[in-house]
Amino acid sequence: MTNEHDSRCSDDVAAYALGALERGEASELEAHLEDCERCRSELRWLAPALQVLPDSVERMEPPQQLRDSVMAEVRAGAKREQATSGSRQRAGWLSRIRIGSLSWRPIAGLAAVALAVVAVAGYEIGSDSGNGGGGSQDSIVTREDSGLVATMVPEGDGGRLELANVRQLPKDRVLEAWVQRGGEVEAVPALFVPDHEGRASTTIADMEGVETVMVTSEPEGGSKAPTSNPLVTMPIPE
Amino acid sequence: MTIRREKAERLADEELMPLIGEKDPEAFEVFYDRHGGVAYSLAYRIVGERAAAEDVTQEAFISLWRSGARFDSTRGSVRSWMLSIVRNRAIDQLRSKAGKAPKLAFDDDAILEQRPSEELTDDEAMRRETASAVRGALGQLPGDQSKVIELAYFGGFSHSEIARMLGVPLGTVKGRMRLGLEKIRGELAEGLA
Ligand SMILES: [Zn+2]
Repeated sequence: MTNEHDSRCSDDVAAYALGALERGEASELEAHLEDCERCRSELRWLAPALQVLPDSVERMEPPQQLRDSVMAEVRAGAKREQATSGSRQRAGWLSRIRIGSLSWRPIAGLAAVALAVVAVAGYEIGSDSGNGGGGSQDSIVTREDSGLVATMVPEGDGGRLELANVRQLPKDRVLEAWVQRGGEVEAVPALFVPDHEGRASTTIADMEGVETVMVTSEPEGGSKAPTSNPLVTMPIPE
Repeated sequence: MTIRREKAERLADEELMPLIGEKDPEAFEVFYDRHGGVAYSLAYRIVGERAAAEDVTQEAFISLWRSGARFDSTRGSVRSWMLSIVRNRAIDQLRSKAGKAPKLAFDDDAILEQRPSEELTDDEAMRRETASAVRGALGQLPGDQSKVIELAYFGGFSHSEIARMLGVPLGTVKGRMRLGLEKIRGELAEGLA
């Protein structure tokens, strides 16, 4: 497909809306959409038709026990949230994930990952804020082959992860950050998306003991475990 | 019923989201009660078995609970966001069962079938009215158009898989998808006018 709009475009837009294009075709169409207003407006026009498709299925009553178990998990999560908020203890609401059988790039192989720590800027925190004992912590910057630049700015016990030059994501994808401590990879709960200038940021509540910070693209709503290769792999010096 | 719950019930979905983002279980419960039914029905339609449909629904609601703070209202309604999470997870489920062909119901009657409504809130009644209009719309599509839409949306098949299944050229499959969606869209526009 070229940047020129042609008659095949509209057919591709409909197939794309239904999630029926092959992966490569979908990203081609996404590139085309950036240049083609006709296709963009076609997609906007079709959207409501997609949104009503779920209403066309036969309605079933969900079992009461499903509601009970969803609400039990939610209430347990809310309790943990209350118990940990405002305290300095390790954030218990981070979902713990074992690497186990996941198709996650083995941490031992990190040396093979093309990345360069290009700058370690002196970053003072807590020196006049009365934090006490904070000393100086450094921002960590990595630059990936893709051109994506990631900066970790320490904030209290945690840090703010700032990304630049992030490619636009398909509408149904989000960014999810992960921290790795020992043998465990944990999801960072705050999912995020890039803005129009390719900037994105999220906050990691607890950086204690973190050896690596990673970011992947995940289906909206996030995943319990990474499902794609990392866009960012940032080793955290001790 | 708590006062908080009563209050939450008066809020629109988009107003519930900031509360859900702050981890308010009452707000979440109201959201579940509004959309648990359609979410579960959609999941069941895709995965074809109760236990798997429950898993998918639970996962989708929990992920919304975990990431509610990131909801971006410029991307559409919370309801359609939620349902696209359900749809994507259900399709993932289907695909992960390697070797097991997805269950597909081509029974148009099942789609057209309408259940007697009982104790519906106004909101719900309106939604079902829309739903029956859509069932009508899907049902009124020529069979070859509704079939490709169902295979893609509920079956998670790509256009080339569908072309192979039906023994028709790729371009034909895509063309039918477009004609079908445009027709549904047209009916919606008429219904709203
Ligand atoms: Zn175009």
